[in-house]
Amino acid sequence: MTGVISGGGQWAFVAAAYGLTVVLTGAVLWTSWRAMKKAEKRSDALRKDRK
Amino acid sequence: MHAYANPTRFLQIAKPLTPWLLGAGLLLVLGGAWAGLAMVPGDYKQGETARILYVHVPSAWLGMGGWTSLAIAGLIQLVWRHPLSGIAARAIAVPGMLFTALCLATGSIWGRPTWGTWWEWDGRMTSMLVLLFLYAGFIALTSGDDGQRQGGSLSRGAAIYALVGAINIPIINRSVVWWNSLHQGPSITLGGSSIDRALLWPLGLTVLGFSLLFGAIVLMRMRRIIADNRVAARLRRLADDEGI
Repeated sequence: MTGVISGGGQWAFVAAAYGLTVVLTGAVLWTSWRAMKKAEKRSDALRKDRK
Repeated sequence: MHAYANPTRFLQIAKPLTPWLLGAGLLLVLGGAWAGLAMVPGDYKQGETARILYVHVPSAWLGMGGWTSLAIAGLIQLVWRHPLSGIAARAIAVPGMLFTALCLATGSIWGRPTWGTWWEWDGRMTSMLVLLFLYAGFIALTSGDDGQRQGGSLSRGAAIYALVGAINIPIINRSVVWWNSLHQGPSITLGGSSIDRALLWPLGLTVLGFSLLFGAIVLMRMRRIIADNRVAARLRRLADDEGI
């Protein structure tokens, strides 16, 4: 498949670029948020146990 | 700056700041993406594919900006042994790699309909790929090392690696000027922009929005490392108290 693509066919490439950005950024945001909440919960629980 | 070297003081700011960065970042990105997809006209030459600009440019900026921040954190760790600098460098690596990968992927998707090829081994794309490998190397170097067990600080080797890797940043920036490339030359410089204002304003929204999201991710990852450090320290104290 060679050559430039024009017209309506271009929207598929735009959708792919935005879709990939949403999926990957969302995945890193979600995993970072979950890992942070889990770690802080464990830290707080351990601190309360010590009191 | 040293006043915030204390993780407790840092958390007093980071905890309320994280949801604000996250919320404002999401709003700006959604607004910028909506404007870029639905409000602005297509480019007169490239047509609709020029809309990829609104996710490609922020990714490139954050991939390069991420490594610059990582190198500064490495320098601070080497010179001042700031307790949070190693934690910050570790927290930056994954989102930095994410946005570098997104820059390469969205650039490739943009290249296919525009240039007729997914990939070209020219200066810009190759130096950006080197940046992706640098991030992967840094993550491999700092995962499960002694520093992670000692409060998150970086080893001397990892800090020097971060500094040496920064040589690639000006190479990426100047690559389209130094070498012939399919990639266009710099469109936004200190002197102004060659992009028409009608197409430019959503880019400001997405660059700012993705930067805030990057900041939120870094804060979340720093908070996770600090919480893990506290758990490890408490478990050590418990073990000492019980004479294990």
